[in-house]
Amino acid sequence: MTTRWKRDFPIPSAEDSYVTRREFTNFLGLTSVAFLIGTLATAGRTLAKRLLGHDSPAVAVAGIEELPVGGYKLFRYQESDPGILLRLAEDKFAAFDQRCTHLSCPVIFNAAASRLECPCHAGYFSAEDGRPLAGPPKRALARLEVTTQNAQVWVRRTEEVRA
Amino acid sequence: MSAKVRVRHRLNVVLQMVMALVTAILLGQLWLFTISLEAMDNRAVSPKVAGAAAVCSLVACGSIWILIRFFLRMEQSQSGDLR
Repeated sequence: MTTRWKRDFPIPSAEDSYVTRREFTNFLGLTSVAFLIGTLATAGRTLAKRLLGHDSPAVAVAGIEELPVGGYKLFRYQESDPGILLRLAEDKFAAFDQRCTHLSCPVIFNAAASRLECPCHAGYFSAEDGRPLAGPPKRALARLEVTTQNAQVWVRRTEEVRA
Repeated sequence: MSAKVRVRHRLNVVLQMVMALVTAILLGQLWLFTISLEAMDNRAVSPKVAGAAAVCSLVACGSIWILIRFFLRMEQSQSGDLR
């Protein structure tokens, strides 16, 4: 039995929830546009970062005497990218991007084992050249160029330096 | 079965085919998006991959809109009804 107020003020709920084909196809089209915008934005950022930021300026990370053998120092390069500088021997330094190539967790240095370790998923990398040793990562850490000048250790990213 | 109902049934079949194709293309676009994200985070991946993913995504988006317009026009011409 229909109450009087429903007769006087009918609520067309069935009509309201009806989705036309045009609306549905427009929704799919807009979803596609959203994917396109996301892809263009990430691709644009990648290209700008790689092509315009080619051979970034060197960063003075630490004094040579400041870092003991087996020690490490964290730093930032290219404004915000995290890096890790290692002193493997008296005159041997190595620097890598600190982000694990698996899911970008920051890696930490284990001097005793001479390797970089990702605590998130137990990924291991060689401290010598950044190549993956064990765990989920399949790709080497991005290697950075290290030079010493005026008792300072300088690090910079170049496209050529790859593990 | 009246002619109008037959047209409606035929359009439903075409709609399902178009939707299947559009869904497949959308999944492809999602995959391209993940590739571009990977290229952004991982320097071992060439930047050309990100560029190629963007171009492919653009083509996919264009083809989706063309498919949709094709379907809606066909529906309009056959039934005169946009719903």
